[in-house]
Amino acid sequence: MTAWKDSAGGRRVMAVLSSRPFLTVAIVAAVWIAASFASRGFGAYGHLRYLVELGAVIGLVAAGQTFVVIAGGIDLSVAAIVTVSAISLPLLSWGADPTGLAPVLAVLALTTIIGLVNGLGVALLRVHPMIMTLAMATFLQGLLIIIAGGSAVTAENPLVHWLGNARPAGIPAGVLLWVAVSVIVLTVMHATPFGARIFAMGANPLAAALSGVPVTPTTLAVYGISGFTSGLAGVLVLGMNGQGYVGIGDPYLLASIAAVVLGGTSILGGLGTYAGTIPGAILLVTITALITVVNASPGWRSILFGSLILGLLLLSGREQARR
Amino acid sequence: MSTVSSARPAGALYWPVQARRNIGVRSLFVVVLAFLIAYGVLFPGLFTASGFAKFTQSWFPLALVAMAQAILMLTGGISLAIGATVSLGAVIAATTMAGPLGVAGGAAAVALTGLGIGAATGFIVVRLRLPAIVVTLAGSFIIGGAALLILPRPGGAIPEWLSDLLAGDTPAAFVLLVAIVLLWKLYLATPLGLSLYAAGENPVGAYRSGVPVDGARVAAYAISGLLSTGAGLFVAAQTGSGDPVIGAAFTLNSIAAAVLGGIGFLGGQGTMRGALAGSLLLSLMISVMFFLGFTPVAQYVAQGLIIIGAVAIPQFRKVQQ
Repeated sequence: MTAWKDSAGGRRVMAVLSSRPFLTVAIVAAVWIAASFASRGFGAYGHLRYLVELGAVIGLVAAGQTFVVIAGGIDLSVAAIVTVSAISLPLLSWGADPTGLAPVLAVLALTTIIGLVNGLGVALLRVHPMIMTLAMATFLQGLLIIIAGGSAVTAENPLVHWLGNARPAGIPAGVLLWVAVSVIVLTVMHATPFGARIFAMGANPLAAALSGVPVTPTTLAVYGISGFTSGLAGVLVLGMNGQGYVGIGDPYLLASIAAVVLGGTSILGGLGTYAGTIPGAILLVTITALITVVNASPGWRSILFGSLILGLLLLSGREQARR
Repeated sequence: MSTVSSARPAGALYWPVQARRNIGVRSLFVVVLAFLIAYGVLFPGLFTASGFAKFTQSWFPLALVAMAQAILMLTGGISLAIGATVSLGAVIAATTMAGPLGVAGGAAAVALTGLGIGAATGFIVVRLRLPAIVVTLAGSFIIGGAALLILPRPGGAIPEWLSDLLAGDTPAAFVLLVAIVLLWKLYLATPLGLSLYAAGENPVGAYRSGVPVDGARVAAYAISGLLSTGAGLFVAAQTGSGDPVIGAAFTLNSIAAAVLGGIGFLGGQGTMRGALAGSLLLSLMISVMFFLGFTPVAQYVAQGLIIIGAVAIPQFRKVQQ
């Protein structure tokens, strides 16, 4: 037994078993098994597939958030960017393009630019990320109400509709998109020089800059990625909902940050992985689904949600003492 | 401080030190003065007794939440639950004060709730070592849910005489603010208050020097909760009733006011007078935009731009030098 533990392969298995992402996966599995015993139909394939489909939106928003948090920042404008994407896409669709690809690309470019502006403020003007992104969120919120007013806008875009509703081989298109994005994100994060620079910047920005990490372009890229994935999430949400309205993105701010932290990424930066954020996102959707099952008043639902996140944080989100 | 000769009597040190602490916020004071003049021109009634009363009343809750946020940021913490706590204070005031508890009992309930919530948050953040942003974000759901439980829809009542006293034609808000600032000065002279800056600026060094770092931080959270629910009580008195989501805007505004006032995110940097000036600037900005006929929506846009500008320009100048 000890010999097996000391072997290289054994050590790797032990490292995986004791890692934060694995812990989060274990929690998700435990909750799913317990819930399917408690309530019939929870463990049905269709229901679990639906949960993962909902988790895809959080997972996409949290992909950019993971990059930003690892780089030592935070993006509080993701909710507003999701809304921007879900509202401006119907406004940009005229039906001239039969595939609907052009408006989607235009919207993704727009949200990426919003993210880049965040990055400019953080990197060049040296505004604290929290202020920069909160102010950006306030700004976008006002702009959205001016543009869209209080009414919902309906999307008639074939690509968006396909993304939200199609099920090639029984798997929702949104989940396929999430899988593709996850593969790209994990590769970029852990197997490219860019990924290494992000971790270096988050761990110690001064040391990273002195060691030749191009801090300004990297910061710009990180916030740009966050804008892009939030825009992607907005497109997906629009496809699943059929309509965009002001406030459609609001639930995804807390969800994205909670998914990142529940997945074991340090909110202080420099430590973490998207591999933990993925089960973190699914865990959050599961909690929301469980609370809906309980059928309580809005007040109790809110209290339950907050308490469960706090409890899960105690289980998996504690910062190591840095004394 | 080494330049001050030791031959001077102890009291003579106080004013030079205070003057030095003003350096960082001097330009802010100038901007606030300019906005005050603009406001006075747009609204000449400011210099009458009732105009002054109304103006301080619109500023007062923002000043309280700015202090609540600043005291946390000075210790290196932050709270995203300020808005929810304000709402909870408002609904508790509106449901207890007209009931058998009376005004005194209701005020005590509001104060104890604030202290309790703050202390609990502080305990979770400091002793259980969870990140403050996430704890307070989750806490805002719990606190907001509790407010919804107490008062599912706007309602309740505040005794009329209390509303008249706090939000009528009296300078009560201004007097209260002066009293709170004096209490803050007093607090800074206590051991816990003295530890506040040390705990924020260099927790490890402070801990090794015997400063009660954890105690100072938990106390800061408790005081912050008290100030937030106090702001809620005042807002309830202003509107005459309670509303479970009335505080929502205060979270962003408290952070904005504190940062405008020069409080740093890393702890130990900044002064409370700066945070108060920041909240005054924000409150003036909102009033001036109102008098210039901006729609509430355009105010959002302008507020976002002004906050970024106000924070970025001094930094930008520093970089260029």
